[in-house]
Amino acid sequence: MASVVIAVTTGGMAAAQAPATLEVTSPTLTAGQPVPRQHTADGENISPAIRWRGAPPSTRSFALVCDDPDVPMPGGFVHWVVYNIPGTASGLPENLPIDPEASMPPAIAGTVQGLSGFKRPIYRGPAPPPGKPHHYHFTVYALDVTGLPPGLTRAQLVEAMQGHIVGQGELVALYERKPPPPPGN
Amino acid sequence: MSHTPLSRRDLLKLAGTAGAAAAAAPASVVPAEAQRRPSRPAREPLRALTAHEADLLDRIAELLVPSDELGPGATEAMAVRYIDRALSGALADQRDAYRIGLEALERYARQTRGAPFLQLTETRQVSLLIDIESGTATGANVGFIGSSAQFFALMRGHVMQGTFGDPHYGGNAGFVGWELLGYPGVRTVVTPAEQKLLSPPTAVRRSAYDNPMFNKAIVDQKPAGSDRDAD
Repeated sequence: MASVVIAVTTGGMAAAQAPATLEVTSPTLTAGQPVPRQHTADGENISPAIRWRGAPPSTRSFALVCDDPDVPMPGGFVHWVVYNIPGTASGLPENLPIDPEASMPPAIAGTVQGLSGFKRPIYRGPAPPPGKPHHYHFTVYALDVTGLPPGLTRAQLVEAMQGHIVGQGELVALYERKPPPPPGN
Repeated sequence: MSHTPLSRRDLLKLAGTAGAAAAAAPASVVPAEAQRRPSRPAREPLRALTAHEADLLDRIAELLVPSDELGPGATEAMAVRYIDRALSGALADQRDAYRIGLEALERYARQTRGAPFLQLTETRQVSLLIDIESGTATGANVGFIGSSAQFFALMRGHVMQGTFGDPHYGGNAGFVGWELLGYPGVRTVVTPAEQKLLSPPTAVRRSAYDNPMFNKAIVDQKPAGSDRDAD
Protein backbone atom coordinates (compact mmCIF):
# COMPACT_ATOMS: atom_id res chain seq x y z
CA MET A 1 0.00 0.00 0.00
CA ALA A 2 2.81 2.38 0.86
CA SER A 3 4.35 1.88 -2.55
CA VAL A 4 1.05 2.78 -4.20
CA VAL A 5 0.88 6.03 -2.27
CA ILE A 6 4.44 6.88 -3.24
CA ALA A 7 3.72 6.08 -6.88
CA VAL A 8 0.66 8.31 -6.96
CA THR A 9 2.53 11.13 -5.28
CA THR A 10 5.41 10.86 -7.72
CA GLY A 11 3.02 10.70 -10.63
CA GLY A 12 1.45 13.95 -9.53
CA MET A 13 4.76 15.76 -9.33
CA ALA A 14 4.83 16.73 -12.97
CA ALA A 15 1.45 18.35 -12.73
CA ALA A 16 2.31 20.15 -9.50
CA GLN A 17 5.55 21.65 -10.79
CA ALA A 18 5.55 24.49 -13.24
CA PRO A 19 6.53 23.21 -16.69
CA ALA A 20 9.88 24.26 -18.05
CA THR A 21 9.79 26.98 -20.67
CA LEU A 22 10.62 25.79 -24.18
CA GLU A 23 12.08 28.14 -26.74
CA VAL A 24 10.14 27.63 -29.97
CA THR A 25 11.51 28.94 -33.26
CA SER A 26 11.13 28.31 -36.98
CA PRO A 27 13.29 28.91 -40.05
CA THR A 28 10.33 30.51 -41.80
CA LEU A 29 8.03 31.82 -39.05
CA THR A 30 8.85 34.90 -37.00
CA ALA A 31 6.99 35.79 -33.82
CA GLY A 32 4.56 38.61 -34.41
CA GLN A 33 5.14 38.60 -38.17
CA PRO A 34 2.95 37.34 -41.01
CA VAL A 35 2.98 33.61 -41.76
CA PRO A 36 4.69 33.14 -45.16
CA ARG A 37 2.26 32.28 -47.93
CA GLN A 38 3.65 28.79 -48.49
CA HIS A 39 2.21 27.82 -45.12
CA THR A 40 -1.26 29.23 -45.86
CA ALA A 41 -4.25 28.48 -48.07
CA ASP A 42 -3.02 31.32 -50.29
CA GLY A 43 0.07 29.26 -51.06
CA GLU A 44 1.08 25.62 -51.14
CA ASN A 45 -0.26 25.09 -47.64
CA ILE A 46 2.69 23.03 -46.45
CA SER A 47 3.49 22.72 -42.76
CA PRO A 48 6.33 24.90 -41.44
CA ALA A 49 9.48 23.58 -39.86
CA ILE A 50 9.41 24.10 -36.09
CA ARG A 51 12.34 23.89 -33.70
CA TRP A 52 12.52 23.89 -29.92
CA ARG A 53 14.99 23.66 -27.09
CA GLY A 54 14.97 23.73 -23.32
CA ALA A 55 13.15 20.45 -22.68
CA PRO A 56 13.83 18.90 -19.28
CA PRO A 57 15.54 15.49 -18.99
CA SER A 58 12.24 13.81 -18.07
CA THR A 59 10.88 14.48 -21.57
CA ARG A 60 9.81 11.31 -23.36
CA SER A 61 7.88 12.87 -26.22
CA PHE A 62 6.71 16.16 -27.65
CA ALA A 63 3.36 17.38 -28.94
CA LEU A 64 2.48 20.42 -31.00
CA VAL A 65 -0.81 22.23 -31.53
CA CYS A 66 -1.42 25.14 -33.89
CA ASP A 67 -4.62 27.04 -33.29
CA ASP A 68 -6.24 30.36 -34.03
CA PRO A 69 -8.03 31.79 -31.00
CA ASP A 70 -9.40 34.70 -33.04
CA VAL A 71 -11.99 32.46 -34.69
CA PRO A 72 -15.23 33.06 -32.81
CA MET A 73 -15.78 29.52 -31.65
CA PRO A 74 -15.01 27.88 -28.30
CA GLY A 75 -11.29 27.26 -28.08
CA GLY A 76 -10.67 28.90 -31.43
CA PHE A 77 -9.93 26.91 -34.58
CA VAL A 78 -7.38 24.08 -34.64
CA HIS A 79 -5.08 23.95 -37.67
CA TRP A 80 -2.63 21.25 -36.68
CA VAL A 81 -2.22 18.55 -34.04
CA VAL A 82 1.02 16.56 -33.82
CA TYR A 83 2.15 14.21 -31.05
CA ASN A 84 4.26 11.17 -30.16
CA ILE A 85 7.21 13.15 -31.48
CA PRO A 86 10.26 11.34 -30.07
CA GLY A 87 11.74 12.89 -26.94
CA THR A 88 15.07 13.01 -28.74
CA ALA A 89 13.73 15.32 -31.44
CA SER A 90 14.53 19.01 -31.51
CA GLY A 91 11.93 19.98 -34.05
CA LEU A 92 9.75 19.06 -37.02
CA PRO A 93 10.89 19.34 -40.63
CA GLU A 94 8.92 21.34 -43.15
CA ASN A 95 6.14 19.74 -45.21
CA LEU A 96 4.98 16.76 -43.18
CA PRO A 97 3.09 14.21 -45.31
CA ILE A 98 -0.57 14.81 -46.03
CA ASP A 99 -1.14 11.07 -46.02
CA PRO A 100 -1.69 9.70 -42.50
CA GLU A 101 -0.29 6.33 -43.60
CA ALA A 102 2.95 7.76 -44.94
CA SER A 103 6.13 7.27 -42.95
CA MET A 104 7.59 10.18 -41.09
CA PRO A 105 11.24 11.20 -41.58
CA PRO A 106 13.58 9.01 -39.46
CA ALA A 107 14.37 11.75 -36.92
CA ILE A 108 10.71 11.90 -35.93
CA ALA A 109 9.71 8.28 -36.56
CA GLY A 110 6.52 7.40 -34.73
CA THR A 111 5.16 10.94 -34.90
CA VAL A 112 1.40 11.07 -35.38
CA GLN A 113 -0.78 13.87 -36.73
CA GLY A 114 -4.11 14.22 -34.96
CA LEU A 115 -7.38 15.62 -36.22
CA SER A 116 -7.52 19.34 -36.88
CA GLY A 117 -10.62 21.49 -37.10
CA PHE A 118 -10.79 20.44 -40.74
CA LYS A 119 -11.36 16.88 -39.50
CA ARG A 120 -8.23 15.70 -41.24
CA PRO A 121 -4.97 14.46 -39.72
CA ILE A 122 -2.84 16.93 -41.63
CA TYR A 123 -1.65 20.51 -41.49
CA ARG A 124 -3.90 23.11 -43.06
CA GLY A 125 -2.65 26.62 -42.62
CA PRO A 126 -4.18 30.02 -42.10
CA ALA A 127 -7.23 30.94 -44.17
CA PRO A 128 -8.97 33.59 -42.09
CA PRO A 129 -11.87 35.66 -43.27
CA PRO A 130 -10.76 39.16 -44.30
CA GLY A 131 -11.04 41.94 -41.79
CA LYS A 132 -8.25 41.71 -39.24
CA PRO A 133 -5.06 39.76 -38.61
CA HIS A 134 -5.50 36.43 -36.86
CA HIS A 135 -2.99 35.01 -34.40
CA TYR A 136 -1.60 31.52 -34.98
CA HIS A 137 -0.22 29.88 -31.87
CA PHE A 138 2.28 27.08 -32.48
CA THR A 139 2.44 25.56 -29.00
CA VAL A 140 4.96 22.83 -28.22
CA TYR A 141 4.58 20.57 -25.19
CA ALA A 142 7.29 18.39 -23.65
CA LEU A 143 5.65 15.32 -22.10
CA ASP A 144 6.81 12.66 -19.67
CA VAL A 145 4.74 10.07 -21.55
CA THR A 146 4.72 8.68 -25.07
CA GLY A 147 2.68 6.26 -27.13
CA LEU A 148 -0.58 8.22 -27.17
CA PRO A 149 -3.28 6.64 -29.34
CA PRO A 150 -3.69 7.83 -32.93
CA GLY A 151 -6.54 9.97 -34.15
CA LEU A 152 -6.77 12.39 -31.23
CA THR A 153 -8.38 15.79 -31.53
CA ARG A 154 -6.88 18.73 -29.69
CA ALA A 155 -9.38 18.30 -26.85
CA GLN A 156 -8.51 14.61 -26.53
CA LEU A 157 -4.80 15.37 -26.68
CA VAL A 158 -5.14 18.01 -23.96
CA GLU A 159 -6.95 15.50 -21.80
CA ALA A 160 -4.28 12.85 -22.44
CA MET A 161 -1.53 15.34 -21.55
CA GLN A 162 -3.07 16.24 -18.19
CA GLY A 163 -0.41 15.83 -15.51
CA HIS A 164 2.27 14.96 -18.05
CA ILE A 165 3.39 18.36 -19.35
CA VAL A 166 6.97 18.96 -18.22
CA GLY A 167 7.76 21.77 -20.63
CA GLN A 168 5.85 24.21 -22.81
CA GLY A 169 6.50 27.07 -25.19
CA GLU A 170 4.93 28.77 -28.18
CA LEU A 171 5.55 30.87 -31.24
CA VAL A 172 2.76 33.22 -32.32
CA ALA A 173 2.61 34.46 -35.90
CA LEU A 174 -0.05 36.44 -37.74
CA TYR A 175 -1.97 36.22 -40.97
CA GLU A 176 -4.53 38.43 -42.65
CA ARG A 177 -6.42 38.02 -45.88
CA LYS A 178 -7.44 40.90 -48.06
CA PRO A 179 -11.11 41.44 -48.87
CA PRO A 180 -12.25 40.50 -52.38
CA PRO A 181 -11.96 43.26 -54.99
CA PRO A 182 -15.16 45.14 -55.65
CA PRO A 183 -17.31 43.75 -58.48
CA GLY A 184 -16.17 44.86 -61.89
CA ASN A 185 -12.47 45.10 -60.95
CA MET B 1 -16.48 26.32 -43.65
CA SER B 2 -17.79 23.06 -45.00
CA HIS B 3 -16.14 19.77 -44.26
CA THR B 4 -17.75 17.42 -46.74
CA PRO B 5 -16.39 13.91 -46.37
CA LEU B 6 -14.76 12.56 -49.48
CA SER B 7 -15.39 9.33 -51.27
CA ARG B 8 -14.75 5.78 -50.17
CA ARG B 9 -11.27 5.94 -51.59
CA ASP B 10 -10.92 9.51 -50.56
CA LEU B 11 -8.34 12.07 -51.42
CA LEU B 12 -6.20 11.43 -48.39
CA LYS B 13 -6.01 7.73 -48.99
CA LEU B 14 -5.13 8.47 -52.54
CA ALA B 15 -2.34 10.74 -51.42
CA GLY B 16 -0.68 7.68 -49.90
CA THR B 17 2.52 7.13 -51.75
CA ALA B 18 2.67 10.70 -52.92
CA GLY B 19 2.47 12.01 -49.38
CA ALA B 20 5.51 10.07 -48.35
CA ALA B 21 7.41 11.33 -51.30
CA ALA B 22 6.51 14.91 -50.52
CA ALA B 23 8.61 15.02 -47.40
CA ALA B 24 11.75 13.80 -49.09
CA ALA B 25 11.58 14.53 -52.79
CA PRO B 26 11.99 17.85 -54.58
CA ALA B 27 8.60 19.32 -55.38
CA SER B 28 9.24 19.26 -59.09
CA VAL B 29 9.62 15.49 -59.18
CA VAL B 30 6.54 13.79 -60.56
CA PRO B 31 5.91 10.75 -58.37
CA ALA B 32 5.72 7.28 -59.79
CA GLU B 33 1.95 7.21 -59.37
CA ALA B 34 1.67 8.76 -62.80
CA GLN B 35 2.68 5.37 -64.15
CA ARG B 36 -0.25 3.71 -62.35
CA ARG B 37 -2.87 5.85 -63.97
CA PRO B 38 -5.56 3.93 -65.81
CA SER B 39 -5.70 3.83 -69.56
CA ARG B 40 -8.44 6.24 -70.45
CA PRO B 41 -11.30 5.11 -72.62
CA ALA B 42 -11.51 7.05 -75.87
CA ARG B 43 -13.39 10.28 -75.32
CA GLU B 44 -16.59 10.77 -77.23
CA PRO B 45 -17.39 14.13 -78.82
CA LEU B 46 -18.21 16.56 -76.03
CA ARG B 47 -21.67 18.07 -75.80
CA ALA B 48 -21.23 20.78 -73.16
CA LEU B 49 -17.74 20.83 -71.70
CA THR B 50 -14.65 22.16 -73.42
CA ALA B 51 -11.79 19.73 -73.92
CA HIS B 52 -9.79 21.39 -71.15
CA GLU B 53 -12.70 21.30 -68.74
CA ALA B 54 -13.16 17.61 -69.50
CA ASP B 55 -9.45 17.00 -68.91
CA LEU B 56 -9.65 18.72 -65.53
CA LEU B 57 -12.75 16.78 -64.53
CA ASP B 58 -11.23 13.52 -65.73
CA ARG B 59 -8.28 14.01 -63.40
CA ILE B 60 -10.41 15.14 -60.45
CA ALA B 61 -12.75 12.16 -60.93
CA GLU B 62 -9.73 9.87 -61.05
CA LEU B 63 -8.49 11.27 -57.76
CA LEU B 64 -11.90 10.88 -56.13
CA VAL B 65 -12.56 7.33 -57.27
CA PRO B 66 -9.22 5.95 -58.42
CA SER B 67 -8.52 2.71 -60.13
CA ASP B 68 -6.78 0.58 -57.56
CA GLU B 69 -6.60 -2.89 -56.11
CA LEU B 70 -10.35 -2.77 -55.50
CA GLY B 71 -11.10 -2.37 -59.17
CA PRO B 72 -11.70 0.22 -61.88
CA GLY B 73 -12.68 3.73 -60.88
CA ALA B 74 -14.35 6.85 -62.22
CA THR B 75 -12.14 6.96 -65.30
CA GLU B 76 -13.26 3.56 -66.54
CA ALA B 77 -16.83 4.35 -65.51
CA MET B 78 -16.64 7.42 -67.78
CA ALA B 79 -18.03 9.61 -65.05
CA VAL B 80 -17.11 12.71 -67.02
CA ARG B 81 -19.16 11.53 -69.99
CA TYR B 82 -22.10 11.46 -67.60
CA ILE B 83 -21.37 15.02 -66.43
CA ASP B 84 -20.97 16.26 -70.00
CA ARG B 85 -24.26 14.72 -71.10
CA ALA B 86 -26.06 15.97 -68.00
CA LEU B 87 -24.79 19.52 -68.53
CA SER B 88 -26.06 19.45 -72.09
CA GLY B 89 -29.48 18.29 -70.93
CA ALA B 90 -31.16 17.88 -67.59
CA LEU B 91 -28.47 19.79 -65.66
CA ALA B 92 -27.90 22.53 -68.23
CA ASP B 93 -28.64 25.14 -65.59
CA GLN B 94 -25.40 24.12 -63.85
CA ARG B 95 -23.19 24.58 -66.89
CA ASP B 96 -22.06 28.03 -65.76
CA ALA B 97 -21.22 26.72 -62.28
CA TYR B 98 -18.73 24.36 -63.90
CA ARG B 99 -17.26 27.02 -66.17
CA ILE B 100 -16.78 29.46 -63.31
CA GLY B 101 -15.67 26.82 -60.82
CA LEU B 102 -13.09 25.22 -63.09
CA GLU B 103 -11.70 28.60 -64.12
CA ALA B 104 -11.34 29.46 -60.43
CA LEU B 105 -9.68 26.11 -59.75
CA GLU B 106 -7.12 26.74 -62.49
CA ARG B 107 -6.51 30.26 -61.23
CA TYR B 108 -6.05 28.91 -57.71
CA ALA B 109 -3.57 26.30 -58.96
CA ARG B 110 -1.45 28.91 -60.74
CA GLN B 111 -1.67 31.42 -57.90
CA THR B 112 -0.87 29.04 -55.04
CA ARG B 113 1.14 26.22 -56.64
CA GLY B 114 2.65 28.07 -59.60
CA ALA B 115 1.38 25.84 -62.39
CA PRO B 116 -1.84 24.67 -64.07
CA PHE B 117 -3.65 21.95 -62.15
CA LEU B 118 -2.81 19.17 -64.59
CA GLN B 119 0.91 19.95 -64.37
CA LEU B 120 1.05 19.62 -60.58
CA THR B 121 2.30 16.51 -58.86
CA GLU B 122 -0.37 14.26 -57.41
CA THR B 123 0.46 15.43 -53.89
CA ARG B 124 -0.06 19.03 -54.88
CA GLN B 125 -3.26 18.23 -56.76
CA VAL B 126 -4.65 16.48 -53.69
CA SER B 127 -3.54 19.29 -51.39
CA LEU B 128 -5.22 21.83 -53.65
CA LEU B 129 -8.46 19.86 -53.81
CA ILE B 130 -8.50 19.61 -50.02
CA ASP B 131 -8.32 23.41 -49.86
CA ILE B 132 -11.19 23.66 -52.32
CA GLU B 133 -13.20 21.02 -50.51
CA SER B 134 -12.69 22.68 -47.11
CA GLY B 135 -13.69 26.08 -48.44
CA THR B 136 -10.37 27.70 -47.54
CA ALA B 137 -9.67 28.42 -51.21
CA THR B 138 -12.60 30.81 -51.26
CA GLY B 139 -10.73 33.68 -49.62
CA ALA B 140 -7.90 33.51 -52.13
CA ASN B 141 -10.09 35.66 -54.37
CA VAL B 142 -9.64 33.51 -57.45
CA GLY B 143 -13.24 33.65 -58.57
CA PHE B 144 -15.21 31.00 -56.75
CA ILE B 145 -18.85 31.98 -56.46
CA GLY B 146 -19.90 31.48 -52.85
CA SER B 147 -17.66 28.93 -51.18
CA SER B 148 -15.20 26.76 -53.05
CA ALA B 149 -16.67 23.97 -50.94
CA GLN B 150 -19.95 24.32 -52.81
CA PHE B 151 -18.22 23.78 -56.12
CA PHE B 152 -16.32 20.81 -54.77
CA ALA B 153 -19.54 19.26 -53.48
CA LEU B 154 -21.14 19.78 -56.90
CA MET B 155 -18.28 18.01 -58.69
CA ARG B 156 -18.06 15.26 -56.13
CA GLY B 157 -21.77 14.55 -56.28
CA HIS B 158 -21.73 14.35 -60.05
CA VAL B 159 -18.64 12.13 -60.09
CA MET B 160 -20.42 9.75 -57.73
CA GLN B 161 -23.53 9.80 -59.90
CA GLY B 162 -21.45 9.21 -63.00
CA THR B 163 -19.59 6.33 -61.41
CA PHE B 164 -22.40 4.53 -59.66
CA GLY B 165 -25.60 5.67 -61.40
CA ASP B 166 -27.58 3.92 -64.06
CA PRO B 167 -25.59 3.62 -67.31
CA HIS B 168 -28.56 5.08 -69.14
CA TYR B 169 -27.21 8.50 -68.19
CA GLY B 170 -23.78 7.99 -69.73
CA GLY B 171 -21.69 6.94 -66.74
CA ASN B 172 -21.03 3.65 -64.97
CA ALA B 173 -19.65 2.30 -68.24
CA GLY B 174 -19.35 -1.46 -68.23
CA PHE B 175 -21.19 -1.41 -64.88
CA VAL B 176 -17.87 -0.90 -63.14
CA GLY B 177 -19.53 1.18 -60.43
CA TRP B 178 -22.05 -1.53 -59.63
CA GLU B 179 -19.32 -4.15 -59.63
CA LEU B 180 -17.34 -1.99 -57.22
CA LEU B 181 -20.29 -1.74 -54.85
CA GLY B 182 -21.37 -5.34 -55.27
CA TYR B 183 -24.76 -4.05 -56.39
CA PRO B 184 -26.60 -6.78 -58.27
CA GLY B 185 -28.50 -4.36 -60.50
CA VAL B 186 -32.18 -3.87 -61.13
CA ARG B 187 -33.90 -7.23 -60.83
CA THR B 188 -37.47 -7.86 -61.83
CA VAL B 189 -37.38 -11.50 -60.82
CA VAL B 190 -36.13 -12.82 -57.51
CA THR B 191 -35.95 -16.55 -57.10
CA PRO B 192 -37.26 -18.33 -54.00
CA ALA B 193 -33.70 -19.22 -53.04
CA GLU B 194 -32.65 -15.58 -53.31
CA GLN B 195 -35.63 -14.53 -51.20
CA LYS B 196 -34.47 -16.90 -48.49
CA LEU B 197 -30.93 -15.58 -48.87
CA LEU B 198 -29.80 -19.06 -49.71
CA SER B 199 -27.84 -17.92 -52.70
CA PRO B 200 -26.17 -14.68 -53.68
CA PRO B 201 -28.29 -12.53 -55.99
CA THR B 202 -27.71 -12.99 -59.66
CA ALA B 203 -26.15 -9.86 -61.07
CA VAL B 204 -28.23 -8.17 -63.73
CA ARG B 205 -26.00 -6.00 -65.83
CA ARG B 206 -28.33 -3.83 -67.82
CA SER B 207 -29.80 -0.38 -67.39
CA ALA B 208 -33.17 -0.20 -65.70
CA TYR B 209 -34.38 1.55 -68.81
CA ASP B 210 -33.53 -1.38 -71.01
CA ASN B 211 -36.47 -3.01 -69.31
CA PRO B 212 -39.77 -2.20 -71.02
CA MET B 213 -41.53 -1.57 -67.72
CA PHE B 214 -39.10 1.29 -66.94
CA ASN B 215 -39.34 3.14 -70.22
CA LYS B 216 -37.44 6.42 -70.01
CA ALA B 217 -38.08 7.62 -73.54
CA ILE B 218 -40.81 10.09 -72.61
CA VAL B 219 -38.71 11.80 -69.96
CA ASP B 220 -35.71 12.03 -72.27
CA GLN B 221 -37.80 14.00 -74.76
CA LYS B 222 -38.54 16.79 -72.31
CA PRO B 223 -36.79 20.04 -73.19
CA ALA B 224 -33.92 21.25 -71.04
CA GLY B 225 -35.11 23.35 -68.14
CA SER B 226 -38.41 21.55 -67.79
CA ASP B 227 -39.29 19.89 -64.53
CA ARG B 228 -37.15 16.89 -63.81
CA ASP B 229 -38.53 13.69 -62.48
CA ALA B 230 -37.48 12.52 -59.09
CA ASP B 231 -34.99 9.86 -60.04
